Amino acid sequence: MPLKKIKYFAEQSWLLIISALCFGLLIAAVNASLAPRIEQNKINKLDDLMRTLLPAAEEFEVAAELQIDSAKGKKTKSTIYKAVSKTGECVGWSFNCSGAGFADKIELVVAVDKNFEKMAGFDCLSSNETPGFGDKIKEAKWRKQFDGAPAGNLTLAKTGNIEKIDSEIIAISGATVSSDAVVNILNNAMSQIKKQMAEIQN
Amino acid sequence: MSNTQYEIRDTITGGLWKENPVFRLLLGMCPTLAVTAAVKPALTMGLCVVFVLVCSNIVVSLMRNLLKPHLRILMFTLTIATFVTIADLLLKAFQPEMSAKLGPYIPLIIVNCIIICRAESCASKNGLVISIVDGLAMGAGFTVALCILAAIREVLSTGTIMEINVMPQSFIPWAAMSMPVGAFITLGLVLGLINKISTKK
Amino acid sequence: MDTFTTLLMAFISIVIINNLVLTKFLGICPYLGVSGRVDMAFGMGLAVTFVVTISGTLTWLIDHLILIPLDLEITRYICFILVIAGAVQLVEMYIRKFFPALYDSFGIFLPLITTNCAILGLCLFINLWGIDNLPEAAVLSFGAGIGFTVAICVMAGIRENLNLADVPKCLRGAPITLITAGLLTLAFMGFAGMIK
Repeated sequence: MPLKKIKYFAEQSWLLIISALCFGLLIAAVNASLAPRIEQNKINKLDDLMRTLLPAAEEFEVAAELQIDSAKGKKTKSTIYKAVSKTGECVGWSFNCSGAGFADKIELVVAVDKNFEKMAGFDCLSSNETPGFGDKIKEAKWRKQFDGAPAGNLTLAKTGNIEKIDSEIIAISGATVSSDAVVNILNNAMSQIKKQMAEIQN
Repeated sequence: MSNTQYEIRDTITGGLWKENPVFRLLLGMCPTLAVTAAVKPALTMGLCVVFVLVCSNIVVSLMRNLLKPHLRILMFTLTIATFVTIADLLLKAFQPEMSAKLGPYIPLIIVNCIIICRAESCASKNGLVISIVDGLAMGAGFTVALCILAAIREVLSTGTIMEINVMPQSFIPWAAMSMPVGAFITLGLVLGLINKISTKK
Repeated sequence: MDTFTTLLMAFISIVIINNLVLTKFLGICPYLGVSGRVDMAFGMGLAVTFVVTISGTLTWLIDHLILIPLDLEITRYICFILVIAGAVQLVEMYIRKFFPALYDSFGIFLPLITTNCAILGLCLFINLWGIDNLPEAAVLSFGAGIGFTVAICVMAGIRENLNLADVPKCLRGAPITLITAGLLTLAFMGFAGMIK
């Protein structure tokens, strides 16, 4: 009786099992041949962004993996890269951070100088803000006011001179929430990373 | 021979116009609405669908005589999911930017009704040649439809096509067109227009 | 209390702010196809809520307990779709056996759900958003189903009235439904930014 059952099962499902095996092999083969390239693409993207933010750097070394508490009590991971110039000196630090934006999560790459005192700018890794409004956080024109601003303690103002570099960030008109989100993410990540890095280095 | 040729011609016109998956059959609406904010992602999506459609049609057509009826859908799904995974890997390796932009909509090709519908109604009944032609024609019909919608939306929302400026300086970008609203309303109006044209004839 | 607030926020966010149908375009096929009458729409919504809650939680568990530890992320899509197809089958058998009345009212909707992109979409989004605890994944899955039900019922309500309206001939049927859906997304966009 069991033999009959097994035979029935085999008759019904041999095609399914054999093709599942073949498909599995196919995917494994494709993955094996493409995986290094995919990995390289990921590294290149981050590398390119960091290089434009810190042009003096020759190489980026992973310095630490830290946990940052977001305002909502969630923990996010952040990788700190040490930017090293041709002569081997540290010219700055770069790290990624994220937080809630207007519509979805905003992920940023941030660069600071070697003492964690001045920002060297930031760029968006991913965001999904309203097109035409919050979307402008990606534009170089708005991001420029962060280039040289003091790290941490940024404040947001609705009007003012966008070209003046100081701790006062001028919000994008019509997208105060998105601007506020970016400033909050930067302040929060910066203060915590500063503290944790100081502990590590001492 | 002439019979086959006639059949092939019929399949091609069917995919492109008479049975256009987007405009006539209203199949595969998710990607149609989600990735048509700009032409480039729409084109990438279209090509991915062509790839998956042709590959799954080939496999299904080859094993059509071996299929057990009640395990049919499971086989189709397995085949499609495999080729979608491969398409996703290819895209990640050679077009990382597009892959990031399309995100979860590439794996969602698995549940795109067009592909399972063609496997069921065409590839599981016809020979290899017809199945391949059908895959190409349906995929092309889908891609063209996606590109038309994307072109309309991209011009109105940014004034560009394929990131090349086409509108005069004085044009004010209509940001709503790149939001979900723009997707639904553009498709609705285009469908209305097509109804109007085809009823006149 | 803190976890409770997070979960509540996640729930509200997936039901109205990041509504899968209206902002992510998932589940559009049934949204256009089954939204002719409110009772049908409600039935479909309930069936989807049922399946999405189960499959969202299950795929999260499989992803975190099997695929990630074994480095098999590559087979994620195949596993997800098989889990969903299996969940639909199981739910169908269970309901047919124990709640025949409910089974009759769900009718053809249940098998159709396998190809509803809202379900696979949600499983993929949970993975993409990097949800790292089970309660949140479960709440998001349930919320996604409720969000779908809300969207499809609102749509059905509008369409029932639309039948009596004088719509231009060429726009009747699908086109006017799409335009209505467009206006509906505009309304739902007002919720964006509600939760910081």
